[in-house]
Amino acid sequence: MIELRNVSVTYKNGVDALNDVSLKINDGEFAFVVGESGAGKSTLIRLLTREVKADERADVKSVLRVNGFDLMKMKQRDVHKLRRTIGFVFQNFMLIDSMTVYDNVAFVLRCIDAPTKYIRKRVPQVIGLLGLQDKANRYPGQLSGGEQQRVALARALVNNPQLIIADEPTGNLDPRTSVEIVKLLKEINDRGTTVLMVTHEHELVKRMGGRLINIRKGEISFDDRI
Amino acid sequence: MRLSGAGYLIKQGVRNILNNNIASVATFCVLTVSLLIVGFTALFTLNINSFISGVEDKNEVVIFLTDDADDNYIEELGNKLRADSNISDVVFWSKEEAFDDLKSSMPDAEDIFGYIDENPLPDAYRIKIKDISQMSSTLYAINSYSHIEKVKAPYDFVNILTGLKSAIMVVCVVIFFSLMLVCFVMISNITRASVEMRHREITIMKYVGATDGFIKVPFFIEGLTLGILAGVLASLLTFVGYDRLIALLSTETTLFSAMGSSGFIPLSTFMWKLAVIYIAAGALLASIGTVGSVKKHVKV
Repeated sequence: MIELRNVSVTYKNGVDALNDVSLKINDGEFAFVVGESGAGKSTLIRLLTREVKADERADVKSVLRVNGFDLMKMKQRDVHKLRRTIGFVFQNFMLIDSMTVYDNVAFVLRCIDAPTKYIRKRVPQVIGLLGLQDKANRYPGQLSGGEQQRVALARALVNNPQLIIADEPTGNLDPRTSVEIVKLLKEINDRGTTVLMVTHEHELVKRMGGRLINIRKGEISFDDRI
Repeated sequence: MRLSGAGYLIKQGVRNILNNNIASVATFCVLTVSLLIVGFTALFTLNINSFISGVEDKNEVVIFLTDDADDNYIEELGNKLRADSNISDVVFWSKEEAFDDLKSSMPDAEDIFGYIDENPLPDAYRIKIKDISQMSSTLYAINSYSHIEKVKAPYDFVNILTGLKSAIMVVCVVIFFSLMLVCFVMISNITRASVEMRHREITIMKYVGATDGFIKVPFFIEGLTLGILAGVLASLLTFVGYDRLIALLSTETTLFSAMGSSGFIPLSTFMWKLAVIYIAAGALLASIGTVGSVKKHVKV
């Protein structure tokens, strides 16, 4: 679950990126986050992953909770615990070119010191789930954009995260592949994982439907189902 | 951490060296050359010191005694001189020995010596000073004893030698630390470039919840391995190069023997110590340089 109450973010250069934002996304929900460039979408994502900290104000009590972690009180040394509950999908896929599909997916489990036995069992399972079983030994450079994003999805899923944050996952894909990726995200969501997808593509959002959160000038200007 | 996890990190560290072969070779070469330069500077300093010490050992001070000093006093003075921690080689030089030495040094003047009825030369002690920088205070103490007629010491020689030693030490220390600094900057820059290339990998690791320690370990292993290898190669090159350099200097130059050298420091006296220092310094420089370069990237 994501819960923000009266949360603001001011960067060191004085820019108010988020202003008194309150928002609640329940477990198992699927929400699109839209907004113009510079509206505060990226700051919201960075806030949820603890890349940036919320302002601490004496006059307002802010609440910021993600997957049971209180980010207002979280120490830097504990940030990795939060991130182990989140799966990330990026616009530019962020795959490691020198690793095969299998190794890219297994990399996540290796990074969190998972047992080798579990890695050998879990990785083929997730790769199969995303229809990549035939590509397991390929390198990212040998795959299409859609396939690369599916690998990124497999990587996000492999650690059974409570929440998937997809930052413009369809930004580099053609319309048909974009729909395919969002459908996959919906399927993942149907299995109980909360999904927060940031996008610019209003048409895609209209087509898929669901909860839409619009951010404008650092504030939530719309939050409802469409 | 699991054993399999530790194995994975070590494997990753070694794999990083192979995957980033250009950066690895560059780091390895810079490290080896840096260690060699610093090592040879240190050896040069040590050898120069050894040469100067050799020359220092040749200093001699002669303490002439007055004629009224009796045998008991002469013996007592000898004991005092031997008890001084800055004096070595105390040798009594009797007036008879001095006269014989004078005669033998002037074989053509035998007739003249026949006219001398009484030996005019004084009894004396010939001593050597251990630390010539402390010569003044030692001689001051000797001059305070009774029955001292004159103390003859190579003051000019000592001043030149002390000044030379200090100047060489200062120059070598400055060169040594400047080189260390240059090496560190070069290694940091090369490792930084190598780490920059893996920025994406580090970012992903941070996003998936890897701890900072987990991220740094492969880089540490990589730096450590390269540092140890560079240390081993620098040791081998020094072992081979040092002996050849000694052979070359001994045959092609007469400078060192002219200075009254006590010889070069033999390789066997420092070989293993130097190897350990090379390997430790290489490992330390490379691992600190590499891990330091990762620091910026883990702040995601």
